[in-house]
Amino acid sequence: MPTIRSFSNKDRRVLSFLLAIASTAALTAGLLIIRDRMEVASVALLYLVPVGVSATVGGLGPGIIAALASFFSLNYFFLPPYGTLMVHQSQHLLALLVFLVLAILISQLVGRMTTSLATARARENETTRLYELSLALTRLHREPDILSNLAQHILETFQAAQVEIFVEGESQTSLVRLPEKDSEGSILSGQPTALVSLQGSQRMVGEIRMWRPGGLLNPAEERLLRTYASQGVLALERTRLAASESRARILEESDRMKTALLSSVSHELRTPLATIKAAVTSLRSEDIPWEAEARRDLLAAVEEESDHLNLLVGNLLNMSRIEAGALQLKRRWNVLTDIAAAAATRGRHAGKGHRIELDIPEELPLVYVDEILMEQVFNNLLSNSLKYSPANSVIKISARPQDEQTVWVQVDNQGPAVSEADLEKIFEKFHRVTAADQITGTGLGLSICKGIVEAHQGRIWAENLEQGFAIRFTLPIQVGGEAPRVPSE
Amino acid sequence: MSNQPHILVIDDEYQILRALRTILTARQFRVSTAATGEEGLALAAAGQPDAIILDLSLPDMDGVTACKRLREWTQTPIVILSVRDSEQDKVLALDAGADDYLTKPFGIDELLARIRVALRHAAAQGQVDKKTVVTAGPIVIDLAQHSVKREGEEVKLTATEFKLLAYLAANAGRVLTHHTILSHVWDPADADHVEYLRVFVRQLRKKLEDDTEQPHILLSEPGVGYRFIADD
Repeated sequence: MPTIRSFSNKDRRVLSFLLAIASTAALTAGLLIIRDRMEVASVALLYLVPVGVSATVGGLGPGIIAALASFFSLNYFFLPPYGTLMVHQSQHLLALLVFLVLAILISQLVGRMTTSLATARARENETTRLYELSLALTRLHREPDILSNLAQHILETFQAAQVEIFVEGESQTSLVRLPEKDSEGSILSGQPTALVSLQGSQRMVGEIRMWRPGGLLNPAEERLLRTYASQGVLALERTRLAASESRARILEESDRMKTALLSSVSHELRTPLATIKAAVTSLRSEDIPWEAEARRDLLAAVEEESDHLNLLVGNLLNMSRIEAGALQLKRRWNVLTDIAAAAATRGRHAGKGHRIELDIPEELPLVYVDEILMEQVFNNLLSNSLKYSPANSVIKISARPQDEQTVWVQVDNQGPAVSEADLEKIFEKFHRVTAADQITGTGLGLSICKGIVEAHQGRIWAENLEQGFAIRFTLPIQVGGEAPRVPSE
Repeated sequence: MSNQPHILVIDDEYQILRALRTILTARQFRVSTAATGEEGLALAAAGQPDAIILDLSLPDMDGVTACKRLREWTQTPIVILSVRDSEQDKVLALDAGADDYLTKPFGIDELLARIRVALRHAAAQGQVDKKTVVTAGPIVIDLAQHSVKREGEEVKLTATEFKLLAYLAANAGRVLTHHTILSHVWDPADADHVEYLRVFVRQLRKKLEDDTEQPHILLSEPGVGYRFIADD
């Protein structure tokens, strides 16, 4: 039975045949010197030595060769008449035949043992390599990694010149070729030495092509290559399954978010629309002559609710941009006071007698931010403060340089404390501390602030104060490089 | 020809056209409307309006192109309408020759103020003796005399501060983009140095405004530029 080892070592096989001839010849030469003092029986016994050695080293073939060579040498040199292959005495003839049978038996036994040892070693080798491969593949989770790892294993195990693995994915096909370029820099083409398909549980997923100069694969190698292929398919299907599962989970999650968003948004859009509709239809109605003051009130409500709707739509737009990762910052050097002041002015119009104070030192360095998005952060924080803090209370925007690199900003109010558990959660979408019917809002404001601050490489968090509640955030100053020098004149 | 100013409104939203036609007609303007860019350009050529209100998102043409094509043959003031979050488009349109902008949704007072400023500015273009004294609340700026007074008292300004203030005041009521101001007051090479403007506007506000946190004279137009508000 041919083995992987003997196939891969042709030279060694030739050598073991030579060893069989040479050892017999050497023994013959040695024995010829002392031929007169030796019994024929002892000589015959000694001739079994090269037979045994050759069979051990080279297997059955060399053993038989050594046995035949010994048989002829014994006959030719040591059985009278010397120098011929003739035998006169019948007892010598019998001894010679027994020798031949014995020699062949020995070489067969020893040879078979050697062969089965080699087979066992090859099997062990095969098992080890398979184990290594499956271990390596289990650790990998990306398709390209799996393919290149499989190709590398095939390249090493089969001592191939080139391995190609071709795989059809759901959307694209990919081809891995190892070595990426052979030593001459050219790519082997033409008929591959071996071609094994990658048969998945549902359908063909691809194939392995292997080129090697050593020639065709023996059955054991073919079996091994097929096993490699099925290991590869298993790993591929595992990652694909995992990927599609996580895709399904993400889709499900975003579906859930969209549903929540839609229900929240439609509720939020309807509330101001209801006010507008009611006010406008009342004013259009010709049943009642509206007094000037009542008219003004109704119209003010329409205007306020329109502004509210506009803010809502702006928030939704920003949320969708943050979600899609499409928030593009137009960063410029800005005076933080100007941005905060613009939001404060807007807040004063919307508040119920709230006092909005600014506490930002004159010497605060310029900040490198997108002024429109940053104003949105202040708008949302102020709008939250106005909603949750009592009428006529104070809301304060403060900012301080924290260190050379960072500016620290705080918007605090005299609203109620938020439970520890909620301090983190309030930045999540649709998370609201109070029941939806008590305070209006989409539950988007703070998560938009978080999205914008983080897009500026800042950090945002919430804290309960001794009296009141604060949202704080940091902004890095130097992301825009050196703070600019402004020519004084 | 009547002496009512003629306003051309180009917008693809029927409701906006309807509302603006009603409101502007009530305010003694003559109004024509167009729903597409091509129709608007044709009407502008045929009707010779005194001012054009142009929506930036038209079905057949983007507003910047429309501005450029109008500016090829007319200096009629153009006020653009756009939505929030498209500051870049506004700046492009302003640089392409538009005079001012309004963000939808807008109050009608704002629109009327923009139209008034645009008409006044267009009228001043042809005059030889331009107004050299600009008044804004307690501030009186004499552009010819290089003097600035606050409640009758001289305000000391550095040369650059005055140059900046004079440029803004000469264009009172109109928005001026960062780029335009920087190129004009400093140098075209400094057109991207918004920080110069930030610092100098802050200095000017300290000298001119009652409350620098709630400015009434030097207004910021976030993402676009600055606007000087003078008394009517």
